[in-house]
Amino acid sequence: MNAWLRLSRSWRAYSSLATRSMQNTLAYRLSYVVNFASSFVLLIAMYALWNAIYAGREELAGMSWAQMKTYLIISFISNSLLSYYSETRISGKILDGSVSADLLKPLDFQKARLAETLGSTVIEGGLTVIITATVLAAASGIFKPDFIHSLLFILSVLASLLVKFGIVYIAGLLCFWSTGSLGIVWARMAVTSLFSGALVPLSFFPSWLEKLSLVLPFQGIVHTPASIYLEEVNVWGALGLLALQCAWVCVLWLCGKLMWSWAVRQITIHGG
Amino acid sequence: MSFIEIRQLTKQFRQAVKEPGLAGAVKHLFSQKYVDKTAVAGINLDIEEGETVAYVGPNGAGKSTTIKMLTGILVPSSGTISVGGIDPYRNRMENARTIGAVFGQRTQLWWDIPISETFSLLKDIYEIPEPLYKRNLEQFIELLGMKDFLHLTARRLSLGQRMRADLAAALLHNPRTVYLDEPTIGLDIAVKQRIREFIRASNQERGTTVMLTTHDLGDIEDLCSRLVIIDQGSLIYDGTLAAVKDRFARERVIHFQLEKADLPALREALDRMPKVTAEKLERQHVSLRFDRFHITASEVASAVMRCGEVIDFRIDEPGIEHVIKQVYEGRISLDEQHADKQTAAGTEANRR
Repeated sequence: MNAWLRLSRSWRAYSSLATRSMQNTLAYRLSYVVNFASSFVLLIAMYALWNAIYAGREELAGMSWAQMKTYLIISFISNSLLSYYSETRISGKILDGSVSADLLKPLDFQKARLAETLGSTVIEGGLTVIITATVLAAASGIFKPDFIHSLLFILSVLASLLVKFGIVYIAGLLCFWSTGSLGIVWARMAVTSLFSGALVPLSFFPSWLEKLSLVLPFQGIVHTPASIYLEEVNVWGALGLLALQCAWVCVLWLCGKLMWSWAVRQITIHGG
Repeated sequence: MSFIEIRQLTKQFRQAVKEPGLAGAVKHLFSQKYVDKTAVAGINLDIEEGETVAYVGPNGAGKSTTIKMLTGILVPSSGTISVGGIDPYRNRMENARTIGAVFGQRTQLWWDIPISETFSLLKDIYEIPEPLYKRNLEQFIELLGMKDFLHLTARRLSLGQRMRADLAAALLHNPRTVYLDEPTIGLDIAVKQRIREFIRASNQERGTTVMLTTHDLGDIEDLCSRLVIIDQGSLIYDGTLAAVKDRFARERVIHFQLEKADLPALREALDRMPKVTAEKLERQHVSLRFDRFHITASEVASAVMRCGEVIDFRIDEPGIEHVIKQVYEGRISLDEQHADKQTAAGTEANRR
């Protein structure tokens, strides 16, 4: 009974944090529009590029042009769910020292950061999804999955968000160890977009690289939701992929927890 | 056992030593040399619940390091701390519920949402019951004059407004202990007064234990009954402000504005009085320096009144600034035995 009361109270603290984070994001609406516009330009560029590559070809690495177009849009959605701002907020906290203010609060650092990230995602990601869904519905020649796959796709997008948070969090904590963050942030972005399939679908990789990508957590960010959406796997296969994503979410969460207890010693021993 | 108990508290930081120039920087890549710098060196301190303690010292003396260890965001290298029975580092979260802290150089407010929203977020974080939250918030808005800027984001606040909001945010959950690291830094006198009144009120009404570091001696005089001075990581004084003043601020200067003064007679009278010297001796203006432990102000005044008609007078007391500065500079040892001898010597030197 008491434990439940405790849990519901602390739930309130984190959900309130998420709400404030939404408000914070709304304060940056112009920056969101600019971000969205710039990644949309990138999407158009990618579209044009792949269009040229597909000229006169039916299929590349087992993907038709229609599938490729769809893939581009899915990867766009997965990438826009977390904005650059949310991605750099954790490392930013560590670099400017405001992490010490977080240590003064009776909150778990990891859960608090997740709450903030989810809060801003509701606003940013929500808008992105609405805009792209409109584009998807209007555009022709774009693959539309059946009901079950659509449902599993939505679940896997949510899981991909958590996978991405796990990676961002761990990379953010690495800033305790190196003094510059930009290097780590960029390295993380490059590695993520390569191994997640955001840059090029994994099936285009040489087979050793594809195999490597499939054992890393990054594939859960773009490759998994895209495969489910494109019905490259059947329902059972899709459930398996979802389970794998969830397993990675747990592993990354635990790694993040361990990293934090290491990182917190760095500040608390060496000074903020 | 005291409410806050600090025993043999020590904190050492490791600092990388880099030799100068490019060669030094390259060398550092391969072989790192470190020196241990001791920021806090074996402090013992007991603070009772409800006390207001000024923690004073020159820059780099170890004040902020001590405060950070008390709040649980720094681990001691050795020694122990107990705040209301809690070890702040081992039980950081538990400790965090019962403390409030303001670090003057850094805000804890959310930058891009109205501060009223920050307050309601804190209500959820600290699980403040609704009636208490309402009562505190209303009172704080009133006391700190926050009505005009409650709806603004922290980004838009002036320094004085931000500091008031930060202070309110730190005290909203009725913490038992409040740590204030330079809460009045860079503020104008009106805001300083408000903040001091607020701190005093929460100490008196709620019995909040207050520990504050400051360079502003007005803060100490207005707020703190107890003064702890730290220098180079060690405590060099722990006692009342009044005691420091009694010991090191015993001299007063009394100024008279006179009419029809008989200066030769006054000179004669002065020679008969112990430890009184004339700073200024003119027909219309006389200033006398005296030691208030040897002669009272009224004795000095009546001697002057016998030799002329006093139109006006005032007494100057040496500022606590002056005393603390002397302590920092090592000219005064606050050790009881040497103290009197040294002040006497200092006074001699001043006279010459």
